[in-house]
Amino acid sequence: MFNGFSHSVMGASHEKTGLVCQDSSAYKVTDNYAIAVVADGHGSKKHFRSHIGSKYAVEATIEAIDRFYEDPEQFEENFPKNHKMILKNIEKQIIANWNFKVEKHLAENPVTAEEKSKFTDEEFEKIPPESYYGSTLIAAVAGKKFTFGVQIGDGSLVALFDDGKAVMPMEYNESAPANVTASICNSNAATMFSSFYTDKKHIIAMYASTDGLYTSFGSEYDFLDYHTIITGQLTNLDAFKQVIVNNLTKRSRFGTEDDISLSCVFDSEFLKEKESLIKEKIEENKKLAAERKAELLKKQV
Amino acid sequence: MSNEKITDAAMNGALDGFEAASAAAEIDNSLDFDDDPLSATGVSRKSLVIFFLIDTSGSMKGKKMGELNTVMEELIPEIRRVGEADTEVKVAVLTFSTDVRWMYSTPIPIEDFEWARLRANGVTSMGAAFKELSLRMSRNSFLNSPSLSFAPVIFLMTDGYPSDDYREGLKELQSNSWYKFGLKAALGIGNEANDDVLAEFTGSKDTVVHAYSGGQLAQMIKIIAVTSSQIGSKSMTLSDDTGREIGEEDVFAAKQKLLGQQIQELVGSQVEESDVPFDTGW
Repeated sequence: MFNGFSHSVMGASHEKTGLVCQDSSAYKVTDNYAIAVVADGHGSKKHFRSHIGSKYAVEATIEAIDRFYEDPEQFEENFPKNHKMILKNIEKQIIANWNFKVEKHLAENPVTAEEKSKFTDEEFEKIPPESYYGSTLIAAVAGKKFTFGVQIGDGSLVALFDDGKAVMPMEYNESAPANVTASICNSNAATMFSSFYTDKKHIIAMYASTDGLYTSFGSEYDFLDYHTIITGQLTNLDAFKQVIVNNLTKRSRFGTEDDISLSCVFDSEFLKEKESLIKEKIEENKKLAAERKAELLKKQV
Repeated sequence: MSNEKITDAAMNGALDGFEAASAAAEIDNSLDFDDDPLSATGVSRKSLVIFFLIDTSGSMKGKKMGELNTVMEELIPEIRRVGEADTEVKVAVLTFSTDVRWMYSTPIPIEDFEWARLRANGVTSMGAAFKELSLRMSRNSFLNSPSLSFAPVIFLMTDGYPSDDYREGLKELQSNSWYKFGLKAALGIGNEANDDVLAEFTGSKDTVVHAYSGGQLAQMIKIIAVTSSQIGSKSMTLSDDTGREIGEEDVFAAKQKLLGQQIQELVGSQVEESDVPFDTGW
């Protein structure tokens, strides 16, 4: 049986400058699948409605996955056979859903004089309307027979499979131009997704996070170890929900002051089975972290 | 019947994300940050790496190297204070003589940094040092921390003319974006140090100073290291007075200019001490 949680905290720098939280997050659990989604609205001036864009990105993704799961048996049978093509279709559906929501919002809420006042006419003309709503998106989906994820733009997806090791399974899209920030608002957004798929391993827990979380760590090892520690806490989810609010707020306030979102789905029965393995991993990670630090402090001259 | 559940908390982004985020911001004053089962992995602040490039060739032997070792030991607590507020300061030391060598295998947080006393020997392979610095100043190497970084501070200290093709190394370094946006300063030690070479490295004569005695060396190292760390760790706005966004290049150029002005002001205000010059009587 799947379960999950999600939480977004507003960055301390946004609080100071009176901005709204540009992140959105959600999770959804059904009998057949569970999905964790986060989205990070772009911060620069031309993306002045990105807090709405990130909300739409999360909604668009959940709606797209819902639609593909309308006939769960058929989807579960077809997906493993042709996962590359179906993943592409899911990505296109997400973009289509998002564009529809954005167009509708813009039609119902035309750009105000105040929003326009920050630009010269010439500058404003150059901004494509969908850019007002620009956002990243990361989604992790756990099904009964397979696990997959999609991502556009910055952010992280961390998974703990059968072996209890925290990994980042996303296969990054090498064809996405390195000097362009991938965004759901790009005209070629459907080609800029990265994704992963596996039906070989069973998921214990899976996490999607915006880059405010990643950048609050001093090393990638710490970032991965953090997810293992969280997984060790999930058996008491109700108590843990306050712990994660506390920790994400601390990470934003004392870290890089950015918005942070974390969304998680996990298989609660499989987690119980693997509880002692996760505890072992946490202890092993502590030992390895101490060894790395000792190595770091060796002088070479 | 499906047990599908989308709780209020679960859909905090998709349904009422703004309210949920604001609520989180309001309640956080009551949070107890010390009682945190997830504290095993610490919170990292925005980091600043200070690179010291130090000439350890034979001509640095004696008073120069002795003084440099002493000053650097004294300097560490002062730089530690710069990082106390919002910035995690890290230090990386590259020595160059016949070979180039890092003091530690990676930049070390200032809280953990201990100076290893250096010895002088060999020739001045400055070009090789520039190449090594360029290689390590990368997201795939020394600057691989996930946390955000300020552009680094790069501080060169030398007492002589390079014995290798420094221009070839400098050309390589100049193509490195961290170098381009970094704050660069240089200190010439004694009469033999060539200020033109140092200005080629920093890009401006304002950020080159000279020390002719042990007392001056201590003063100059402290002025440059502390001032550049302070400016380097300062967040500068990416918009001008009218709210118009300005390029990162402009921000870094402004920082480099500010460093030059402050160094020149501080150097100008130093009291002359009756100190024995390096190049006489040693």
